[in-house]
Amino acid sequence: MAEEREITLRRFDLSDLDDYMVWASDHRVSAFCRWDTYTDKEDLRRYMRETVLPHPWFRAICLGGRPIGAVSVNLGAGCDRCKGELGYVLAAAHWGRGYGTAAAKMAVRSVFQEVEGLERVEALVDVDNKGSQRVLEKAGFVREGVLRKSMVLKGRTRDMVVFSFISADALVD
Amino acid sequence: MGVGAKEEDRAEKKSVPEITLRPFTLSDVDDFMTWATDDRVMRFSRRPTCTTKDECLTHMKDLIMPHPWCRAICIDDGGRPVGSVSVMPAPGADVHRASIGFGIAYDYWGHGIATAAVKKAASAVFEEWPFLERLDAIAEVNNTASQRVLEKAGFQREAVLKSYLVLRGESKDMLKVEEMNLLDSENNSRWMPGK
Repeated sequence: MAEEREITLRRFDLSDLDDYMVWASDHRVSAFCRWDTYTDKEDLRRYMRETVLPHPWFRAICLGGRPIGAVSVNLGAGCDRCKGELGYVLAAAHWGRGYGTAAAKMAVRSVFQEVEGLERVEALVDVDNKGSQRVLEKAGFVREGVLRKSMVLKGRTRDMVVFSFISADALVD
Repeated sequence: MGVGAKEEDRAEKKSVPEITLRPFTLSDVDDFMTWATDDRVMRFSRRPTCTTKDECLTHMKDLIMPHPWCRAICIDDGGRPVGSVSVMPAPGADVHRASIGFGIAYDYWGHGIATAAVKKAASAVFEEWPFLERLDAIAEVNNTASQRVLEKAGFQREAVLKSYLVLRGESKDMLKVEEMNLLDSENNSRWMPGK
């Protein structure tokens, strides 16, 4: 797809702080995320240093080499080592152009290649977050069901749609 | 955890024995061994089947005794444990949610003991943890006996999660089931089953 040619994934660097701040400070982006909107760049720098940089799988979604969002896979251990949980954010200015779908597809492809024993990438999406549900469906994820009151988001318990991409499934073209 | 389908029809006509739940003590190790060393019970567990009494003691010391909520299932008015039921709160911020698991010694399958224990445990934790809104459980898709226990205890099927857990060296498809607290105090409304 055309969007995939424009988007690249790479590891973050602390020098990406200003670009990261663009979406991290945006209420529209954080609305369906477990984190609160950032107001202080130093807090974001600390988050990047402590969580983003050492993370086993965390990538910048880049357009023309500059970060416009982030995609990550939280990998399980022990009995959970066959699965990982996908999360992604995109700056609001770049919504509606297929970049989220492209990034999700690329992330899934990469993480299955890179992580031994990974068979399942799952994503949990708020039932009201229709945009994100469409991104995952277009990226080839299968909707498995709704987990009722399964997550606390901004102080409220939410119903979450659970999606999965199994490594044996064919990638949607 | 496995509960057998053997004698299921006869069991429906038998009355369910009175069961009590109580915390384990290390002196329960001999009874604990009855099911913890039995592959027929442990084959669906995340834990490996124990092979020695020492392994059982270690399992009890490391996992059972410090567990947030683990109970011995006793029958016949304070009799010896024939199984265990445990409820594990979800990690991190999701204090409203917990998962239930159970295992019964093979010789006691088919009498409704697991169903009674799950019902009693669910009631107890919903009362003891006022912030708890959701109890869930997972069972392998081919573990129909455990699924029946959960269904009879009032849990509802939610989703089949493919390649969800690695058990005995292989990834397994798991059925997730849930039970919501009947009284949702925040909304002052009753959740209607079968919705």
